[in-house]
Amino acid sequence: MLAVTSLAAPAPDLKLEALLIWGTNEGTSPDANHKPVGPKLKRKLEELPLKWTNYFEVKRIRFDASLSNSTKVPLSEKCELVVKNLGHSKIEVTVFGKGKQCATRTQELTKEDTLILGGNAPGSTSWFAVLRRAE
Amino acid sequence: MDYEAQLKLQAHLDGELPEGEAREVTNWLARDREAVALYGELRNTRQALVGYEVGVALPESREFFWSKIEREIRRLKPPETPVHPAPLLSAWRKWLIPAGTVAAVASAVLVGVFGETRISTVETAVADPAAFTYHDYSSRTTLVWFSYPADDELADRTPAAIVE
Repeated sequence: MLAVTSLAAPAPDLKLEALLIWGTNEGTSPDANHKPVGPKLKRKLEELPLKWTNYFEVKRIRFDASLSNSTKVPLSEKCELVVKNLGHSKIEVTVFGKGKQCATRTQELTKEDTLILGGNAPGSTSWFAVLRRAE
Repeated sequence: MDYEAQLKLQAHLDGELPEGEAREVTNWLARDREAVALYGELRNTRQALVGYEVGVALPESREFFWSKIEREIRRLKPPETPVHPAPLLSAWRKWLIPAGTVAAVASAVLVGVFGETRISTVETAVADPAAFTYHDYSSRTTLVWFSYPADDELADRTPAAIVE
């Protein structure tokens, strides 16, 4: 009976975190509030074919993605993510740049997976929106 | 004018001579018409070449650029080749194709349920043609890259202005 109850229970919210990252070849960030990304994320970024050597965390937002509603994650004035929990660790992420929908992506996001959205920024630098499960 | 002298003129034009030698060449040019003529010809040639060198800069790294081409190739439908199977083979095919499909689906389900290694499946619906995807299966990382040039509206070069 207990098993049946637990199977019938609604799936819990996905605890996620979104990070806004600045990629650069400069050794330090001019903004003292920016801190270098953690070693785990740094390693993942270094394994991608990117040309930048240093990555700084600009913003971090933790949120719960529920099955019922989409969650808006405003990373900056110009960049916003809308995350929908599809169940079974699957999410749908829509990226909005300056209010315009840029891309929608559906994928599994387990504790090992990381989804990174990125682009060029002025001064031969880059921006990244990192989405992963909150630890 | 010997070959060495010609090379020295070229080196002077390219700014490769040390200060002392450069001064000597300048003095030489002041008194030698032949040298001035060759110097002018070399300069014109260089300018012409520079003018025709179109600087093509990719907005993304080389790996991303080739990744896009690879994706486009995969996206294109392969040309259909006409097949004229033998009647016996045709009869077998009617049975083999559905049976093979069932076997493939069953294998995929079994691997998905019981397999130790799992390949993460990804469905993409990218609305933006300038966006492309890169997978690193070893680190379980997916990168969606928007290959626009940097936004000039954000030209204030402070990181806070770039991303906020």
